[in-house]
Amino acid sequence: MKFVKNHLSIIFPMVAILLGLEFFIVFDRTTKNYEESLRNSYAMLVVSKEEMSIDDFKSWDNHVFKVSEIEKSKIVNRVSSTFDKSLNKSNTLQDKMPNFYSIKLNSYLNKKELEEVKNNFLKSHKITRVETFDTLHQSNYGLFSFIKFAFSTFIVFMTIIGSFLIIKQMEVWNYMHSQRMKVMNIFGASLFLRSKVLINMALIDAIISAIFASIIFYFIQKSWLKDSNIRIIQDNLEKLFTFSDIFILMVAAMVIVMTAVILVVINVKEE
Amino acid sequence: MSNIIFAENLTLWYEENEIIINGANFSINKGDFVFITGPSGSGKSTLLQSFYGKLQPNQGQLNIGGLDMSMIKKKKLQELRSHLGIVFQDYRLINEWTVEDNVVLPLWIAGYSKKVQTEQAQRLLHHVKLSGKEKKYPMELSGGEQQRVGVARALAKNPFLILADEPTGNLDEYSSNVIWDLLENACQQLDTTVVVVTHQIPTVFNIPFKHLSIDQKGTVYEVC
Repeated sequence: MKFVKNHLSIIFPMVAILLGLEFFIVFDRTTKNYEESLRNSYAMLVVSKEEMSIDDFKSWDNHVFKVSEIEKSKIVNRVSSTFDKSLNKSNTLQDKMPNFYSIKLNSYLNKKELEEVKNNFLKSHKITRVETFDTLHQSNYGLFSFIKFAFSTFIVFMTIIGSFLIIKQMEVWNYMHSQRMKVMNIFGASLFLRSKVLINMALIDAIISAIFASIIFYFIQKSWLKDSNIRIIQDNLEKLFTFSDIFILMVAAMVIVMTAVILVVINVKEE
Repeated sequence: MSNIIFAENLTLWYEENEIIINGANFSINKGDFVFITGPSGSGKSTLLQSFYGKLQPNQGQLNIGGLDMSMIKKKKLQELRSHLGIVFQDYRLINEWTVEDNVVLPLWIAGYSKKVQTEQAQRLLHHVKLSGKEKKYPMELSGGEQQRVGVARALAKNPFLILADEPTGNLDEYSSNVIWDLLENACQQLDTTVVVVTHQIPTVFNIPFKHLSIDQKGTVYEVC
């Protein structure tokens, strides 16, 4: 019972930290994709008196990624029903119409940044109007940012709790192992030999913790998330937990326990 | 006779204004049995601790097995300690290890095979009359039995020097006599040098011994 308790008291906080880490990795991976798709689906509309090139737009603002001209004929066709047919036929409308451009940006900008881009464009006398569609853009971005913040807070909280539990366990290790290490030191054991029992125990616990965290995530991916209706999850289902994550968790667990072991070992006074 | 321990003008202190051992001169030869006595706080244990390098000489010279203890490097100290047998008043056994594991600790450190360790443990536990208690844990034994495990551990690697700090301090008369017998035998049969710090030399002691006494000022006298 004591043996199980000793192991669980390090495995439990380790699993908490590793889950936090895996959540972070997965969240980072999926939100990057989501951010990319939000960026790709977003475009500003710019109206200009003269024809413009991408270089013109880039010279006013370096967030410009792609510029495509909206064909005047398409606009005329869409709105033709509301105009006088004679105007339509004579192509006068098309000739008199300004140029319309759809502009894609190279990153996902907030409302203030979008306003700055708009102002940069309007500094040119050739630009007559800029439509940022910032309300729709901001509602997506706001929700996305909130989820990101809430998730980050949860991960930080989990890591802090896990770290406190590990520090507590380090005190237990110090109490449990210092007497043995001191005795072994008196009989001429090297630092490695003195720490061997603790290192072995810690490494085994690290491996068990990494396996536990991997199993938990595997099941989250395969059962719970698979049936969820959240688009961002469905779009990235395969990326939620990859095989390489097991190694990342394993290495992270080993780094954490070895740091804890080293701190315990150097705190044991030599005799 | 070769010197196992040689001290010249040996001075030890924890703080410079509180000298514990003051300019001690003595030598201990191979096969000697030595008692170090003195009143409480006279520095008996401190002197013994300097023999296994727990503290280094602050002044003078101290040689253990030909090694200068004032200049000894960590690696050399580990090597020296692996050839010493040390017995403590509070036994210092590893409570989560079995009796057998405790006895073979010096062999485990030296990297002996499991087979050699087991054979040596059987032999030593028979010698200290603890056969059949191999798989017990220290806390399941009496104080006298624990100290016998401590002596068996000290003898495990046939050390050239056994250092014992009040080995019978916590024991009853019967258990004390058993410990004295074991230390006598080690000295007589194995020609091991034994240095024992004690309050009182046992009334019945069967082999010749040397006696170093320390007074309250930290001066070491060779009584006999």
